[in-house]
Amino acid sequence: MKFFGNLFVVISFIVFPAFQVGAGEMILKEPPKSINKYYPPESQPSKWIQQMHKMSTHFGGVFINLKEEDFDNVDKHADKLVEEYKKTSEMVPEWEDYFDIKAAENFANAAKTHDIAKAGKASGGLGKTCGKCHAEQQVSVWAKFHWPNFHKIKVTDPISEKETAFDDYMGSISSSFKTVIVNFGEGQYDRAAKALKMFKSRFMELKSTCSKCHINQDVKRFYVGPEIDNALNELNKELSSKKPNTRKFWKNIDLIGKKGCKHCHLVHRTNSLIKEMWQQSVKK
Amino acid sequence: MKNFSRVLDLIIGVGLIGISGIAFVYFLINERFEWIPEVALELVRDQEILKRPPAKKCSECHKNIYEDWKESRHSVAWTSETFIEASENRSKEKCLPCHIPQSIQGEKPEPRTDLRDQGIYCVPCHFIDNKMQGPYDLLAPPHPTFRNPIYVRSNFCGSCHQKTFKEWKATQVEDTCQDCHMPRKKSRLTQKKGLNLLHKKRWVGDHRFLHGKITKEDVILETRWETKFFNISLKNQTIPHFVPTADNGDPRLYMYIKFFNGTEEVDNAKEIIAPQQETALPYNKKINYRYRLFDPVSKAVVELKYQPAWSKEKTEVFSKTVTR
Repeated sequence: MKFFGNLFVVISFIVFPAFQVGAGEMILKEPPKSINKYYPPESQPSKWIQQMHKMSTHFGGVFINLKEEDFDNVDKHADKLVEEYKKTSEMVPEWEDYFDIKAAENFANAAKTHDIAKAGKASGGLGKTCGKCHAEQQVSVWAKFHWPNFHKIKVTDPISEKETAFDDYMGSISSSFKTVIVNFGEGQYDRAAKALKMFKSRFMELKSTCSKCHINQDVKRFYVGPEIDNALNELNKELSSKKPNTRKFWKNIDLIGKKGCKHCHLVHRTNSLIKEMWQQSVKK
Repeated sequence: MKNFSRVLDLIIGVGLIGISGIAFVYFLINERFEWIPEVALELVRDQEILKRPPAKKCSECHKNIYEDWKESRHSVAWTSETFIEASENRSKEKCLPCHIPQSIQGEKPEPRTDLRDQGIYCVPCHFIDNKMQGPYDLLAPPHPTFRNPIYVRSNFCGSCHQKTFKEWKATQVEDTCQDCHMPRKKSRLTQKKGLNLLHKKRWVGDHRFLHGKITKEDVILETRWETKFFNISLKNQTIPHFVPTADNGDPRLYMYIKFFNGTEEVDNAKEIIAPQQETALPYNKKINYRYRLFDPVSKAVVELKYQPAWSKEKTEVFSKTVTR
């Protein structure tokens, strides 16, 4: 019996935060404006997240204390869970329908019988309400509030020294990179060397761009670190030689494309694209 | 005549007692304030100062320090346009601990929730463990001040300026942050009339937190021509940390190289020397740059300009023409 009790607590912790409602497709709608006031810059700290943690902690608190047979605290956590659940249901009016106060009260009443099986059974109805909201809204909320907005970043173009919108800057980098490749393909090595100088300058500027969000210096070295710097120097060496080695040239171009561009895009681009779509829909 | 002499004696006597009294109070306040009973001091304490006062309150006595601080970048840490823009309207959490610190003690400060417009003001630096601290033990009737040797050590600045602190430490130069950025002069800590005369002059640090000017004596340029290349080396000779330096800001040195054949500019190059790009100049070490010459070149003009993190304006460090 104790084993099943332990097992249930573990499962509760794993399952409760999600209680995922199966969904074959996901629509990423921008979260309602009324949630803005619970996230920076309007709220510091993030009150919405704190609210989620409160509910999750009280839910966990019920099962931990049932297992420990600390029934006074079971009752306290059950009451607090209902209180916080009601409070949360009023925070974002557009999401009011996700909440089922009756389900929360049923769970609290079941918990207060101090029968772990009854509490477990009643948690299902409550968990589903959380799971439905998470399934439909969590990705959007994370995309909007937890990821900084690339589209707001301005980069000082090292060539023109003008402040440039991030997307335009990415276009400039891409263009410089292509100029190197196209000229090399045509055997115009001097032109390729000049374009490389421009590309290197623009690419290395991204180190400053990473620092706009990241504190840890090591993070930017994933994409614009010594490996890329070395590849750029090797390319320069090839283009400065009388007869550039084609194999070495493409090897280094490939390294920059994969470890510099692609790896960064893999991490950052999905979120950026989601925000871009929301911005475009606002403009329309 | 006799009466006049008595009056004169009385005046002199009272005068001497007065002067002695003032001298004794001066001695007591500056040298032996521990003799004053705590009960007596409690009567003159200002309760507002004992609970994290705003800078303006401190300025009632420390007018000069307050005015210096108002000129500093610390005073606009939360309100400067550059900061608001770079922090996306102050929403980036990484910026908050050092721009609105609760207390600058420890590894990294915690951001505070009150008086944010004051940025880095008196309290985060001087109000530690619920008491006013500074480089001297002092009796000030409104609040006691306790000496803490950390105020003249570089690690005091290091909780926010972590990267610069590490750079300085690696140089093993003895001059501290305060020696260069808070040069001391003898003056009074308070300007409040009456009270100021009771306090003797002390070594007071400059609370503008001076930002050193970079000159051609600080960054040394050397050049060398080769048949197909032009070589430059720069050495930060005098500043015991990287130049420029910043933990999160983005100050820059721009080096412009223009190549001429006669009077015609045939090519150019540029270097961005910046901490965020890991290209800043370390202390006392030559950094080399090499440029391939595509066309015939007879001379090069090398210019170095400095742009601080909070400005878009550049100032010239040097400009030098190098003929072949």
